[in-house]
Amino acid sequence: MNAGRAQGARKSTKVSIALPTGALMPGALRLLAKSGLARLSADELGRQLLVDRSSVRVILVRPADVPAYVDHGAADLGIVGKDILWETPGAHYELVDLKFGGCKLVLAVPVASRLNGPETWPPQLRVATKYPRTAEAWFEARGQAVEVVQLRGSVELAPQVGLVDAIVDLTATGRTLKENRLRIVATLGASTARLIANQASLKTRTDAVQAAVGRLRKAVTG
Amino acid sequence: MPGFRDRLPDEAEVLREAQESVLAEMRRWGYRHVITPMVEGTDVLELGIGAEQRRRLFKFADARGEVIALVGERTVPVARLVAGKLRGAPLPMRLCYAGPVLSTDDGRLHQRRETYQAGAELVGAPGTAADAEVIALAARCLEASGVKRYQVDVGHAEFFHGIMDAVKLPDEVKDAVRGALAARDFVALESLLEGTPLRSAEHELLLRFPALRGGVEILQAAGGLVRNRRSERALAELAEVQELLVAHGLGEVVSLDLGAIRDFDYYTGITFEAYGPELGRPVAQGGRYDGLLERFGRPSPATGFVVQLDLVYEMLSGAARPPALPRIDAAVAWSGSGLRPALRLGSTLRLFGMRAVVDTQARNEAEAKSWWRSVGAVNLIHCSSESTVSWTARGQRTRRLPPEQVAGRLAGGVA
Repeated sequence: MNAGRAQGARKSTKVSIALPTGALMPGALRLLAKSGLARLSADELGRQLLVDRSSVRVILVRPADVPAYVDHGAADLGIVGKDILWETPGAHYELVDLKFGGCKLVLAVPVASRLNGPETWPPQLRVATKYPRTAEAWFEARGQAVEVVQLRGSVELAPQVGLVDAIVDLTATGRTLKENRLRIVATLGASTARLIANQASLKTRTDAVQAAVGRLRKAVTG
Repeated sequence: MPGFRDRLPDEAEVLREAQESVLAEMRRWGYRHVITPMVEGTDVLELGIGAEQRRRLFKFADARGEVIALVGERTVPVARLVAGKLRGAPLPMRLCYAGPVLSTDDGRLHQRRETYQAGAELVGAPGTAADAEVIALAARCLEASGVKRYQVDVGHAEFFHGIMDAVKLPDEVKDAVRGALAARDFVALESLLEGTPLRSAEHELLLRFPALRGGVEILQAAGGLVRNRRSERALAELAEVQELLVAHGLGEVVSLDLGAIRDFDYYTGITFEAYGPELGRPVAQGGRYDGLLERFGRPSPATGFVVQLDLVYEMLSGAARPPALPRIDAAVAWSGSGLRPALRLGSTLRLFGMRAVVDTQARNEAEAKSWWRSVGAVNLIHCSSESTVSWTARGQRTRRLPPEQVAGRLAGGVA
């Protein structure tokens, strides 16, 4: 990958931030506005994908792509859900818990299923998820053999049609699970939005990047 | 295969030239070149590298059933060499090497599984003068390869170890703190430290880790906060190295980074990383690893570094003014009885250091022009007899001259 070229002629005082599309986008935009770094509407950013302001450049990318942009240095900073970071560990620095976009990664089974706690699990459990790495690590730590079926979407459908015994999926309110007649039997982890930083940006453009981090940190607590 | 790729001439030649320039600089500093095998026994490699790196090795069994691996770095093979075949050679010893290294990285983030590295190791030399030497050498290697803008961040593994000794935390929390730092997860670090009742200067330092970077003033700032021998000694050594690097003529490019997060189990002293202005990863990195040679039975202090040649290439090709790509100076075509003079002319041009391609089949002047374009040479020389050749420089009209004169003019143009 060409980390260097992606940045083009960016001025060294300008800090670039990768924002995720989807559920975290409104919270990310509110935080940017509150920090005073950039006031942007979802419409404007959604249309242009890349917006330059005097001190920041904002890039809109798919949530799962935020770590790639940051790790390769195409963005100095990124706002991304912890759930994505579980799946995509990299060389970035995870600096601040931004405290919005809260949700849980849960193990859920059909309401009628006999599965409950670990003592009820079969020798080999079949699980569908968008989070194969996290799911595998969690079951391995509990000594449970598991066959992970990686799906891209509509995970809650998989147990209803007999593809799997259970799902590992993200839930904020639990509504989608209920609608699909699934119940939670365990929580794998809690996720919120995080601020991540490129390791080289922190070193080569310390002042500008740390200043932006400081303003975002203040916007969270203040 | 994902992660592996061919290098076409434009890239291959720049990459190879960068490698040769780096090795030449190392030799100028008295480092002798060694070549270690592409494979090593896993028993050797496991002595030197951590579990995570071991997982990433390409491993296979040879015909005798022994498990061997493609090397993922060459510091460990060099340590094996110093403690083995070179056991009788006096220390300190300066060695350098270059070549591809392989890793089975899952391709998620680091798409490259084969990368080129050149490295140098200074074995048997303790002390800050040796630390400063390898840092200065790394910087000069980058310059030799054509990199103009870079910076070097110098840190110290003992600064961190001292803090971890002094910080008042239960052992299991300390392990978790180490884990969080290794993962560069400061959110986890913060919540770990928040959960502990005791607050100390060390807590503050750990939380501010990524920001502990700057000039010599950072040493005073940190010195006011730490109250443990290990960290204090690390700060004193950093001050010495900084001073020596100024004497090396590198004061402008050096920063101090107390929060450098490196493999703390491997490095035992001064560490450093070099960054380019537009590169997301360090282009060179290294440091002191006094514990490694002992595991091979020849306890000695050691320090060294590697330059990531692929990243050097990226910097050179992405720089505002890319270096002129190596090109062909002359395409020498011929017809009739022109082959012999063409061959002589080719030899003469090469003697002058030019790149000359002599055609392998006869062509008239019109055909030669299209061949010339396909070769991409700067000059076309067409020989049709012993006495006369026609010379066309790119963008100029054709001239007829005796062969000796063409060689002379071309050589003059090159000089």
